[in-house]
Amino acid sequence: MKFLCVTCDEALQHQGTAGPVEGVLTVRFGCPGCGWEMAMYMNPWETQSVRSLDVKIGGQSVPAEPMHMMRSSLSQRREDMPQPVQMSGTGAEEAPKCPFADVVAQAFNETQAVAEPVAEAGPVWTVEAEKRVSERIPSFVLPMARMGIEKYARERGYREITPEILDEAKDVFMG
Amino acid sequence: MKTYADLVGDGGSNIVAQVQQQAARLRDRLSHVHHIVGVVSGKGGVGKSAVTVNLATACAMQGWRVGVLDVDINGPSIAKMLGVRSYLPKVTPNGVLPAQGPFDMRVMSMDLFLPDDATPVLWSAPTQQDAYVWRGTMEMTTVREMLTDTVWGELDCLFLDLPPGPDRLPNIAGLLPFMAGVIMVTIPSQVSQLIVTKSLTLAKEVLPNRIIGLVDNMQGYACADCQTLRPLFPESGSAETARSLQVPYIGGIPFDPALAQSADEGRPFVLDHAETLAGKAFMQLASAVQTYLQTRVSAGDTP
Repeated sequence: MKFLCVTCDEALQHQGTAGPVEGVLTVRFGCPGCGWEMAMYMNPWETQSVRSLDVKIGGQSVPAEPMHMMRSSLSQRREDMPQPVQMSGTGAEEAPKCPFADVVAQAFNETQAVAEPVAEAGPVWTVEAEKRVSERIPSFVLPMARMGIEKYARERGYREITPEILDEAKDVFMG
Repeated sequence: MKTYADLVGDGGSNIVAQVQQQAARLRDRLSHVHHIVGVVSGKGGVGKSAVTVNLATACAMQGWRVGVLDVDINGPSIAKMLGVRSYLPKVTPNGVLPAQGPFDMRVMSMDLFLPDDATPVLWSAPTQQDAYVWRGTMEMTTVREMLTDTVWGELDCLFLDLPPGPDRLPNIAGLLPFMAGVIMVTIPSQVSQLIVTKSLTLAKEVLPNRIIGLVDNMQGYACADCQTLRPLFPESGSAETARSLQVPYIGGIPFDPALAQSADEGRPFVLDHAETLAGKAFMQLASAVQTYLQTRVSAGDTP
């Protein structure tokens, strides 16, 4: 796929990719001649089609882990199978600024994905863990934080999120 | 106004370069695999996986270093038949370590990644709408990943157990244009011949001169008591099918009840029954395949 600035008769250049958010991938292109910019939105179906090819629009910043696409895309897999740590989206534009943001971003991407008919059961929160996050994490970031913690727990095969798991996750997120 | 061809590169989306890199990585990984052989059939239920497992084992018994990739993503059976289902694939920076079957056989299968017997292969995606469009691509990408990212090591032959369906071979041939050849499996029934004939015609198209031969599975019933061969199907037209399509006919394999039992027990039949009629047939098949491959090498006829 190529784009042309008709005014300048120049090929538009890829400037960045964001998302996917709710399955929509945003790809920005700009004209090196006149500076005109455009954004291309890929619908969830198109996003998934690109993802199925195991490519990222704009290129991979780091090499993918072995069998990354398959391991990150299976709706249900062995619990003792390590989950790839890299973004599984089709085109992560920039590395998140901190490890916590990375985990949240991954969790966000993952929760946007709709599993095929049999959904993966998430880890269960204990009352103590629920109480602790609701007391210590501001309400406006709580949903994102919960997703990040649940993803962390899932990746390690934890069936239950306890205060100990919260401590462990915090150590990883905050370095 | 410039045309598509006038625009150099892909505007920075980098898709083409990534696909080329994938192909390069695939070729690099398989550069230590001397031959890749597909076991195929347009028809389901003819015993492709049983032939694959026992052919690979027979080759290993004859001193070859072999691997088996289960290309049947949705109905994997190779891990079960080779007794490695409990193996958890280990992910290393260099790739995923395969299971090790008899004679250090390297085994990779989707079955090793699924949590239990009842779980089918299902993909998460931003939308499941029109999933039929991309599911096939996901499956082929998974096959490519398994080929590329499995630490196969040095192998004399990697056998690919393909799922049924005449369309599967062109996909694999496109992914692996350097495949050494394919073995077509059929059974002595007219229904099977009908479908396998189509598959053979297609195979000759996509892999010219690389049809190792047609194998007639379940060609008679091998009596466990007296080791005589009794008819199982009314007639076998497999040799004639091969002749009419000008592909080699490389033999028949009798059905032996112990074949099914061995598969269920996860131990290749030929390991314990090499002296039976079916066992000898597998050993002969292995010899025929090795001869074919060595002849190609001698002739410098390697893709």
